[in-house]
Order: sequence, then C-alpha cells, then structure tokens
Amino acid sequence: MSKFQRVKSFLAGVALLLLILILLAIPESGLSIVALILSLSLVFYGFRMLWYYAKMARHMVGGKTFLYQSIIVLDFALFTFSLIRISTVWIMIYLMGVFAFSGAIDILRALEAKKNGAPSWKLKFISGCISVAATIALFIIGIIFREQTILVYGYCINLGYAAVMRFVNAFRRTAIVYIQ
Amino acid sequence: MNKDFHCYATYCAAILAGYSHEESAVIGYSSQMVDLCTRTMLSKLHAPQSAATTQLQLELMDARTDIIGLQDITRIWASFHFLPGDLNAAPKQKCSKKYLNKYRLICNPNSELIEKTVSLAKGKSEQAAGIAMHVLADTWAHRYFAGTPSLVINNINYHCFELVQSENGEVERKVNFRHNPSAPDDPEHSAYTNTVYYNNENSIMSLGHGRAGHLPDYCFVKYKYLPAWKQYEEIVKDNPADYLNAFCQMIYALKFLRGVNPSFERGKYDTEAAEPIMDDIRRILHTVQLDSTDDWRELGRKLSGHSLEEIDVDKIEKEYLDADDDKKDDTFLGKFIIGALAQKSMVTNQIFQSGNKLAGYSIEYSSKGFKGIRDFRKLLNRKESAKNE
Repeated sequence: MSKFQRVKSFLAGVALLLLILILLAIPESGLSIVALILSLSLVFYGFRMLWYYAKMARHMVGGKTFLYQSIIVLDFALFTFSLIRISTVWIMIYLMGVFAFSGAIDILRALEAKKNGAPSWKLKFISGCISVAATIALFIIGIIFREQTILVYGYCINLGYAAVMRFVNAFRRTAIVYIQ
Repeated sequence: MNKDFHCYATYCAAILAGYSHEESAVIGYSSQMVDLCTRTMLSKLHAPQSAATTQLQLELMDARTDIIGLQDITRIWASFHFLPGDLNAAPKQKCSKKYLNKYRLICNPNSELIEKTVSLAKGKSEQAAGIAMHVLADTWAHRYFAGTPSLVINNINYHCFELVQSENGEVERKVNFRHNPSAPDDPEHSAYTNTVYYNNENSIMSLGHGRAGHLPDYCFVKYKYLPAWKQYEEIVKDNPADYLNAFCQMIYALKFLRGVNPSFERGKYDTEAAEPIMDDIRRILHTVQLDSTDDWRELGRKLSGHSLEEIDVDKIEKEYLDADDDKKDDTFLGKFIIGALAQKSMVTNQIFQSGNKLAGYSIEYSSKGFKGIRDFRKLLNRKESAKNE
C-alpha cells in the first residue's frame, strides 16, 4: 500500500467517524441523512461505472452493458433523491439487508472455521448471531412499530466498523521481503 | 487440476524423473498440499498465516476487496495457481494502466516466472519441488485466466461450447452453466457449475477460472469460449493436450531439480521418459470422468511398485504441532511453509518489480533491510543460519 493510499484510507476513516457523530447528534432526522447518503452513493456509483467503462470495460467482451447500466443507475439516483421525503421503507429494507447478509456470512464462516478446528470461530459466530438477531429486532422495531431511530444507530455501528477497518488498513504492514 | 493430477500424476512424473517412491510421495503430497494449506488451517496450527497457498470458499466470501484484500488474494492465487505468463505483455489495443496491470497477470505456461519458480526449488526440499510442480501444472490448466479478481479479464459469457467426439467426428455442445455449488458437474450433458455473474470488477466471483467453473480442472474436456480480454476472438482449450504437456514438462523440471538436466529451459518437455506409458497417459486424459485418481494411482503402482496412499492431513498437522519450536521447520509442513513463503515472496517481488502493485509491495532485503510482514522473517533466518553453517 502506497503512502497516498494510506493517507486516503485514514482520511476516509475520519470522514466516516464524523458522519457517525452527525447521525448520533440528530438521530430523528437520521434516516433522511442516510437516504441522502444512499442517493449520493448512487450518483457516485453511476459515475464510477461510467469511468470503469471508459477505462476498463470497453476492452471487455460485452462491456458495453456497463455504459447502459451507468446511465440507468444515474437515473435511479435522481429518482431515489426525489423519494427521500416520500418513503423511507426502502431505506430500512436496504439497512436490514446489509445486517442480514453480513451476519449470515459470519455464521457460515465460523461454522467452517469450527469444522477445520480453528480457534477463532467463536468470536465470528457470536458476531454473526448478533447481526442476525439485530436484523430481526430491527425488522420488528422498524417495520412493525415504525421506530426509525434504532435503524440509524444500527447503521452507525456498520459505519463504525467500516471506519475501524480503514484505520487498520492505513497502518497495516504490507511489504513482502524478497531475500535472494 | 484436482488431486488426481496434482498428487498422483505428479507422483508418476517424479518416479519417471528418477526419484524414489518416498521422495516422489513427498513431492506429490506437497503438490496437493498447495490446494489444502489455508489460513484457517495455519491459524489452527499457530503457523505463519502468510504461508497460505489457497483460500477456502468461505474465506473468499469473507475477504475484503479493498486494495489490501485484493493484494492478499492476488499474492496467493497468482503465486501458486495462476502464474502470470508475461509481466510485460501489452494488449493490441491502447488501454489504461489499471487494465494493463490486470492483463499482465493472465496465466500462461513457459513464462520467465516458471523458470524462476523451478530454479527457486533447486537444491531445496522435496516440498519446494512439489510446490513448483503444482505451479507448473496449473500454468497449463489455468492458462488464459488471471489470479486476481477481474471481470474484464476472467469473465466468460454464454458463448461456451464443449467439443466432444461423436461418430461424425468432433461436434459442439453448448455448455450449460449452473450456479448450485452442491450440484455435481454432469459431463454427459455438458452441465457444469460456475460462479454467478456479478457486475463488479473486483468481485470474488471473477477470481481465476470461477466463471468457467471447473472446466479447466478436468483433464478430458476440450472446449471453446470467448474470453473477456481477447477482443471477441475465440479460444479453443484442449485440456488433454495441455495436461500431457504439463506432465512431460514436470518430468523435465524434476530431472533438473534432481541434477540430471543441467538447466531448465522453457518450452522443453521430456516426452522420451513418458513414451513407455504414453498410451496409458492418453487413455487417462481422454476418459470422461470427474476424478481420475484411481487411474493415476494404478499407473503410479505400475511405475514404482508402490500404491500411493491418500494424503493424511491429520498426521501432517499432528507432526507439526507435536514438534518442538526449533524443530518445526524440519517437519513436512514446516518445510512446505518455507517453500510457500519463498515462492510467494519471489512472485510478489517480480510482479512489483514490473511496476504492477496488484500483488502488493515488495522490497529486496539486500538493499532495504527487513520491513513489512513479519512471517517472512523466517526466510531471512534460514538464509542466515545456512550462511553460518
């Protein structure tokens, strides 16, 4: 990892922490902020896909689909932005999808590690179970009781994890030594 | 390639190269070990995890695809399973540096890196020879795919046909790809499992030959497809012919490692040594079966008079765990770990030296001293102790 990449990773971690603080400071309008972030992410994703087409996918067999997809994603980003004040259900579904998927992967990974006799499986298993339990709890609280703040807190935990990983990556040893 | 070729065919090649049964068994087991040595396994044994030579499916699903994660994946897969064919290759069309870096990791046989791989194992343990043979054999089976997640390189689409022999000669049969990993491949109906298409450049689904399923791993398959990187040009992949080349090149390389051949040159195959059993080899390579272990084992028994047992991973692990700390490097796994670290270190360095950062950063100890991942200190310690002796 180059020095520039390390600095970038560190700054991204700081940005994520700031976002968490903002969300925690005003949780009542948190879901709108999350929606805004999601629609901005889609804009970013659309342009990134366009860039990807220009730099990489145009050399690929069938790569033109990326050009069409990027246009559709940008269109969808605008549509999402217009939905912020109308519906928040899809944001909740997205957030729960994130929790459920990461939880399921953790559990599967832990079970495989256990099968192979690795000692680290318990922590992964617990974190997977917590994620799945959190998804169920969020479903009940968010969808049935229409309590949105708790979803924002859940999203903050996710962001916190991403921030920690950025910091870890920024300081992780990466060079391999070649001894002739 | 599966254990049938990596373990049992490699054993046969070692016997033909003049190794004893015991030495050949270690070479065969080490070659197979490359497909078994995961981080999960190494963490259980408290062994250096940087020596991992493969990743379990769930390890891959769990792996992050940020820059560090990608470099880690590339180090493993490019070093041991998809050795780059030409680190200075250039596609016909003008392209970005990012594309070029991925393009240059496309695996191909007879590369400068395979020469370095075989030379690296010279004068080392049988485990190092086994690792080199795994890498060499895979350059044939996995050619045209890259050992890094890349949609623009590794993707293949619906245009994929198996070329099968019929009464009317060779006919095309469309390959029917499925995504259920628990469903066994069905060669009779050309139904094979592959990874799902995911429109992300760095998705794990596009690592190596995942999108082509196990087609490159079966010795009997001949197929044609449109690779993502070849500007709509078809590739015909003749596995029986490639596997035969791999087998004969292994004999040649092993003879070099034994000191029979003075050098290892690219594009040379010891067909002469394989000639007495050529009919047997051709029969095995053309038989439509998902696992040809029994046939290769039988051939091995015919060559050496011994029947090679299945690799006993529990025994290998126990030997490593039971050994005292200063004796661990003398065990089967200890020697394998040193061979794996050396191979990974060499390939990473070569990729880095070519100006490609996809496998991470590498520095030369002689000029910069020791920096970075501590696991690789083991190589330095060995070098120093060898110097002292």
